[in-house]
Amino acid sequence: MNPIDGVKQNWRVLLLVVFLAFSVVALFVPGGIVADSSVANDSVESGPTNLEFGLDLEGGTRVRAPVTGMTAADIDAGVVSDNGQVDGDRIEEIESTLYTDLELDQADARVTVDDDDGSVSAEVFTDNVTKAEFAGALQSANVDVSEADIRDGVTEQTRTEIISTLRTKINEAGLSGGSVTEQTMQDTNYIVVEVPNMDAAELRKLLSERGVVEVVAYFPDENGNQTNETVLTQDMMASVDPPRQPQGPQGQSRGYVVPVQVKEGEPAEQFQRDMEQYGFLDEGYTPQGACNLPEENGSISFDHEGEQYCLLTIADEEVVDAHSMGGLADSMIAGTWVNDPRFQMGAPSQQEAQSLSVNLRAGSLRAPLDLSPESAQIDSITPTHADQFKQYSLLIGLLSVVTVSGVVYARYTDTRIALPMILTALSEVVILLGFAAMIRMPLNLSHVAGFIAVVGTGVDDLVIIADEVLDEGDVSSARVFQSRFRKAFWVIGAAAATTIIALSPLAVLSLGDLKGFAIITILGVLIGVLITRPAYGDILRRLLTDR
Amino acid sequence: MAYFDVPEIDYTRYSNRQLAAVPLAVLAVALLVLVGSFLVLGSPVPMGMDFAGGTELTVQTSTPQDDIAAAFDADADVRSTGTDNQYVVQFSDSDLESLRTQAESGLEQDGSTDIVQSASSMGATFGQQNQQTALFGLVVAFVGMSAIAFILFRTFVPSIAIVISAFSDLMIPLAFMRLTGIPLSLGTVAGLLMLIGYSVDSDILLNNHILRRGGDFYDSTHRAMRTGITMTVTSMAAMLVMGVAAFVLGIDLLASIGIILFVGLATDLMNTYMLNLSLLRWYKFEGVRS
Repeated sequence: MNPIDGVKQNWRVLLLVVFLAFSVVALFVPGGIVADSSVANDSVESGPTNLEFGLDLEGGTRVRAPVTGMTAADIDAGVVSDNGQVDGDRIEEIESTLYTDLELDQADARVTVDDDDGSVSAEVFTDNVTKAEFAGALQSANVDVSEADIRDGVTEQTRTEIISTLRTKINEAGLSGGSVTEQTMQDTNYIVVEVPNMDAAELRKLLSERGVVEVVAYFPDENGNQTNETVLTQDMMASVDPPRQPQGPQGQSRGYVVPVQVKEGEPAEQFQRDMEQYGFLDEGYTPQGACNLPEENGSISFDHEGEQYCLLTIADEEVVDAHSMGGLADSMIAGTWVNDPRFQMGAPSQQEAQSLSVNLRAGSLRAPLDLSPESAQIDSITPTHADQFKQYSLLIGLLSVVTVSGVVYARYTDTRIALPMILTALSEVVILLGFAAMIRMPLNLSHVAGFIAVVGTGVDDLVIIADEVLDEGDVSSARVFQSRFRKAFWVIGAAAATTIIALSPLAVLSLGDLKGFAIITILGVLIGVLITRPAYGDILRRLLTDR
Repeated sequence: MAYFDVPEIDYTRYSNRQLAAVPLAVLAVALLVLVGSFLVLGSPVPMGMDFAGGTELTVQTSTPQDDIAAAFDADADVRSTGTDNQYVVQFSDSDLESLRTQAESGLEQDGSTDIVQSASSMGATFGQQNQQTALFGLVVAFVGMSAIAFILFRTFVPSIAIVISAFSDLMIPLAFMRLTGIPLSLGTVAGLLMLIGYSVDSDILLNNHILRRGGDFYDSTHRAMRTGITMTVTSMAAMLVMGVAAFVLGIDLLASIGIILFVGLATDLMNTYMLNLSLLRWYKFEGVRS
């Protein structure tokens, strides 16, 4: 037989061998064949294979929660004129009506214009307002809406902002391999956050922090009463540096600071004007001692005597730290500050400083997530337990394969038929695993179930092929073999089609972990029908027809 | 000779009516169970955490199993797993944080391992949506499968025979779940969907042998049975081993998929070789040919 004929006659087997070789490389060669290294996280310790494991088999926490808030979408508010001009003053007018009528913080309501179709939406991000109240507030801003026009949930723009903020937060917190995605189930949009190596309490804390950081001036007004005014917000900052610990005059520590760069021009000038107006730059007071708030149980107390000039660091409406102007006053008075507007935000501990820095860099969460027990889903698993699952899954998989092999052998008692059958079914799993390693699909328990199902369906189809081919005595010629093989293939194709149809809803719908199971099973069926089962036919032909 | 051989059944001894009566009676009982429990209990099958909401904790503790429930304010359902001193505790309440705190304060630590090994909670509204999504998925899968059956055989009786036995293959395991108290979870839904795909295989095989090949009816039947029963028994064995092993080791998802598929495939043996077969025989010998 010349080589070309050999290839022609055995191309199915050769194809199987090629696929197997690729899979083995993808699985075991470090680095392997990797689809896109940008999705990879380099810090994950590598096991003996290139497989990636998901929450169930790696440990970590996943939170799935809807966004708190409601939306009046596509409202006729007179914001966008016919020629597409957006009226910014009108937007501010509606927003300020919402803030005052509903007694909301600035962060909890907004009006947006969709960039694509110019539709206008008003949103509030709180549970403390009813739909009727929201509609009422909009009506008093002369927007024509009724209660029925208001739906739960927030706009896509808001969700996109939340996702990107959360991604930055998780990365800034030094956690690798985390993911933030969006999932829609029956008109409700969920944000899904999955982080390995983090327990539920930590992730919950990270998600429940809104991350609104601001600097507030605390000073006596003209009547001598102490008042608060916000002087610096996140959108006035150009950049944020990592926290550090400044050295005092004698080298002792003075807490931590997060150095930030205020935007030059109007924001910096505005900040200086405010400080001047509130009396922070007045002559005759000592910059160092101007703020001296007593501390009680680790938190700052406002129970004090005398006048105080403080800059308060506020995170999510809680006072984190208070400090005086320090050297800032000197450079402001000298007029040099606006040219190089640096500012140091105080924090009492390194942890607080780190959290401030993360929140400042990621920006605040546009709307809070609804983490209440009724609407959220939380899964967490310790790495040890996940490891146990990994070993058990392997054990269960092996047991299933041994069982299937046993039954097949008991049925045929002919190793010429049974052995290739089992090896072919296993090669389907190897190819699938290689594929999973290649696209870096994180494996969960549901995928394990899928792999076992693939062995099951695979062997079923090989039984059909073997029985059909062995029917009515020995196979004498290749022609007889071909015709029988083709008959068997009709049934296999039909069976594969029904399995794919039956599982395709799961592959599309977001039903918990079952997506992975469905995808693996469908892929397995496809690989089986297109590659491994034809190859098994060829192997059987060679074994039975002595060619 | 093989260790197990598929027995040859002498179908000529039974009439179509006799053959169909058994699976139809079982189906009727199953439907009765499902409808009855829907009317009395509000749902045809018990709803698990994935669909009703609730919390599940896996705890590692040296506290004896009988005393674990006492550590929690809420009603707890405690089950041991395959690992020593490891238990799965389920609650209908979904307040994960407080349950976790109660576990950590009320249970004895076993060595240096964390008490709470894994925790998951599902809000009730979330469960409600899962329920509807799962039902939608099952209906779409079933309709899709039926459409494929009709496209493949293009004749009414053989196609409807496949659809009826697949329907029965779903209903009987559901009734089995109600009777044995296995709750409907995402795992069992996956099992049911797999069942739609798996169970149809043997029906297609039988129809194909009888309708698309020449030869004697009983010969074709026997050949289809030999292959089909080998297939189904192999899968049943794999699923039984997976189900039992996963149950012992405490991996619920795999356990429920395994058990449901085992029961469903056993049902399928009966439906394919009694119900489907009798319909095909009637069609072949007495049915009006179109």
